[in-house]
Amino acid sequence: MSQNILCTQNPVNDKEALDALLKDKRGQQYYDEMTRLEVDTAALSKSLNDTCHSRIRTWLELCAHCGMCADACAFYLSNEKDPKQVPSYKIQSTLGEIVRRKGNVDNALMRYAMDVAWGKCTCCNRCGLYCPFGIDMGVMMSYLRGLLFSQGFVPWEMKIGSGMHRIFRAQMDVTVEDWVETCEWMEEEWEDDWPGLKIPVDKENADIMYTVNAREPKHYPEDIAEAAVLFSIAGENWTVPGEGWEETSLAMFAGDWEGSQLQAQSVYDAMDRLKPKRMIVTECGHAYRATVIEGPYWTGQKSGKTPIETLHYVEWVAEALRTGKLKIDPAKKIKEPVTLHDSCNYVRNGGLSQCGREIMSYIAEDFREMTPNGDHNFCCGGGGGMNGIGKYREERNTGQKVKRDQILATGAKLVITPCHNCWDAIRDLEEVYKIGIRWSFLKPLLLDMVIVPEHLKPKEE
Amino acid sequence: MFKKILFATTGTPSCDSAARVAFDMAKRYNAELVTINVFGVPSRSFSQTVTDIRTGDEVDLHDDRLEEIKNELEKTYVQLIKDYTPCETVVTVGIPHTEILRLARKKEIDLIVIGARTSAEENENSVNRHIVGRTLQSVARSARCPVLVIGRTAASFWGGISNIVFGTDFSKASDEAFKFAFNLAQTFNSSLHLFHAIDISADPFEITKNQEVIEDRIRDAREKIRSKYLSKMEGFNDYEIDVWEGIPYVEIVKYARESFADLIVMSHHTKKMDPEKAVLGSTVEQVVLRSNAPVISVNHPARQKKQ
Amino acid sequence: MYNFLTGPLAWFSFLVFFIGILIRSILYIKGLDSNLDRVTYKVNTSFGIKEAVRSIFYWLLPFATRGWRTQPLMTALFFIFHIGLLASTLFLKAHNMILQERWGFSIITIPDVVSDYLTIAVLAAALVLIIRRMALAQVRILTKPSDYLILLISIAPFLTGFLAFHQFGNYPFWMITHIISGELLLVVIPFTKLSHCFLFFFSRGQLGMDYGIKRGGMKRRKAMAW
Ligand code: SF4
Ligand code: SF4
Repeated sequence: MSQNILCTQNPVNDKEALDALLKDKRGQQYYDEMTRLEVDTAALSKSLNDTCHSRIRTWLELCAHCGMCADACAFYLSNEKDPKQVPSYKIQSTLGEIVRRKGNVDNALMRYAMDVAWGKCTCCNRCGLYCPFGIDMGVMMSYLRGLLFSQGFVPWEMKIGSGMHRIFRAQMDVTVEDWVETCEWMEEEWEDDWPGLKIPVDKENADIMYTVNAREPKHYPEDIAEAAVLFSIAGENWTVPGEGWEETSLAMFAGDWEGSQLQAQSVYDAMDRLKPKRMIVTECGHAYRATVIEGPYWTGQKSGKTPIETLHYVEWVAEALRTGKLKIDPAKKIKEPVTLHDSCNYVRNGGLSQCGREIMSYIAEDFREMTPNGDHNFCCGGGGGMNGIGKYREERNTGQKVKRDQILATGAKLVITPCHNCWDAIRDLEEVYKIGIRWSFLKPLLLDMVIVPEHLKPKEE
Repeated sequence: MFKKILFATTGTPSCDSAARVAFDMAKRYNAELVTINVFGVPSRSFSQTVTDIRTGDEVDLHDDRLEEIKNELEKTYVQLIKDYTPCETVVTVGIPHTEILRLARKKEIDLIVIGARTSAEENENSVNRHIVGRTLQSVARSARCPVLVIGRTAASFWGGISNIVFGTDFSKASDEAFKFAFNLAQTFNSSLHLFHAIDISADPFEITKNQEVIEDRIRDAREKIRSKYLSKMEGFNDYEIDVWEGIPYVEIVKYARESFADLIVMSHHTKKMDPEKAVLGSTVEQVVLRSNAPVISVNHPARQKKQ
Repeated sequence: MYNFLTGPLAWFSFLVFFIGILIRSILYIKGLDSNLDRVTYKVNTSFGIKEAVRSIFYWLLPFATRGWRTQPLMTALFFIFHIGLLASTLFLKAHNMILQERWGFSIITIPDVVSDYLTIAVLAAALVLIIRRMALAQVRILTKPSDYLILLISIAPFLTGFLAFHQFGNYPFWMITHIISGELLLVVIPFTKLSHCFLFFFSRGQLGMDYGIKRGGMKRRKAMAW
């Protein structure tokens, strides 16, 4: 048996294990131990038998090795068409190999598979749209991640992230108290400018239950305040849950299906408790994917849908603009050229591409589409968890070239990124490539241009 | 008057004067001092690395690291401050203004002392310019307590205050600043200079070129100062009222110099600015950069203490 | 010999072909799992079917999908190869004569010259496909020897049929190799990548259902552009 302490097959379930991992500098010891991590081939072959059924097996077998998926992948294009980045190759040389050998694989292959699954693919699912057979390498990569996670071959940050969800039901160490405290604080801080501003916690039977990304209470609390202001302006009856407020899921990126289930369930429990009419997810893509698209399956909702209807923030904004709940001051529309980045998770994989277009028609005078866009848009380069994995920083940076060129071609200097992950990625893109762009969520932009009803204006005597 | 003082520092020499003032004041008022240094900005999404604010380098985050920085910081101030009294030091990562405000709220701080960003090296680090530039502005705008901004090195003492300049723009926030200034003047027996600058920088029709219009406006402003503030200063006679015209921050700085101000009190109620302008800063920031006197920014009524 | 090849062996090959297809199709469908695939095949099925049909339909039309449009060369090759292959086999006069003789029915036929050109087109396309396989790095890296083998197996009946039809050299020899290679093709289809001739519809349809049911199908305001 190996003597591994940090890098084992066991998921992180308690603070102690989490702290031990966090102490490890950049996962040095963790990755070192990984070279000695044994593959439990029996378990691997059993889970292949149990979970790898006709869809994936057929995909693997059917692939005509035609290479049509190559140009679909941002990483292939960004890496000067390195053949090793062809989606089909990436999956055939990893999952394909594991399946062919019926799980009887060694440590080296597993580590190679990890490098591919997290360092060469963001699970953006674009390739699936370009394969004549509809072979979706993104789906298979995600499946592969599940296998790798169960065997302990998972990047350090992902192990930590999944542990955070298991322990805190949030991707960061934000407790329920921290969260509620932050809401109160924002209420206080913003009520001068927005008289009567409230962030109602745990209100039952509201029209809207709003859930966020842990980064907001942790680092960007004004995002919550901005959401509150916009809800107030729109006259919404809304609330945030005290528990079950975190919508994201690094567990999903990690392939930790159990953690993913726990996380999604915590949100559904909040729905159950507060009985809101609808839920709205903050400007985050993978949160929507995890809790709205995939979550119902992890938690066994027969309908394949969340217990109550759920909207992404862009859907709500589009609706509010359409129904006049939010009105834009025409003089304050964005005048400069502006472009919109479609997040793979709720656009291609969530069908919301029209919402972004509709919003832009209200707020921008010179909206420039990237090419291609909508369902066919390229990944920002940092999806699927790659943004946060130190080991694959270079891969991520290189992978962003396609997005960089897409942005440059629009001539716009402002990129709207209604997704935390994309927002981060575009920021890093600017840091790496210095192309002179700015990037923003929708909320602060809307706040600058929306018409504020009299009762919400501060009284100046 | 100040029971709990929060000193926000980047740990660089540009904060040295602010450090002197903070430690000095804590001693004088027997106040509890807390030092906060937000040394790293979260970067790379959820990863465990942060960007060091001072160097722009990517550094790893772990407990030892925070401890190291904390010791280093304490050592710096032990050397810098003549009679150093130990204080609580908080070293953390995050968006600086968020963490400063969060701590100020949690600890029910009465006064935040913060250094103005005057050292070039901090400005030139392009990645973080955005963030560092916003810190002062955001803290000054949102803090529930007065924020003392220490700019020039000269102003490194907090002794007798003989002259306080209160610069007003007649906003609601200015009312709070006035209350604070008046309170100070009473406490320190200093003379209070009530000052307003008529902004002629944005004047498309050049109305202000007309001497009569100007005179009128000056008269109005004086009247406004009288009705707004003098009425609340009963029994206090050591004051002066002055209204000048020009670009507000320039006028305030000139005026402060002429009236030998030891302290300037003003409000910083500007709402969010677009990032391009924010780099230049608001009137408060401009004054801080140019004036020899420290500036206290007050925007909000004092927080109701929790019971 | 000829009788055996066109009698029992032909029966056998067709049987393997059809039963193979049937079994694989059943296995495919049985192997779909709402929970593992995370697609509720049985709930909101209509959305799924609709997108499945759209997805198949667009991918069957040349240049109808973005994927086809972005790779015109491959698209041309693909359609020439597949249309030629199907049309020249099914609508060939000689094949239909056999059908008529044995079963008393036939389907539409095309003039022999057309079949001839189609066969040449298939062979030419196959040649370009082989060259493409060797020339393009992104295809080369995927290529295994079996890929060439399978391509050869699928074009062998066409080559031999072509030679037989034009009576190059030894007619009976080409005829017999034509029959054998044709039967071989039928037999290997269910067991190799060539099963894509029917599994294509399932695989494409599955992704269509995935998008139609789960990935935004019910929210998409503008039909998905495949
Ligand atoms: S496009 Fe499809 S069939 Fe062709 S190589 Fe890629 S995955 Fe295989
Ligand atoms: S899912 Fe996206 S990143 Fe992954 S292989 Fe396919 S196109 Fe490339």
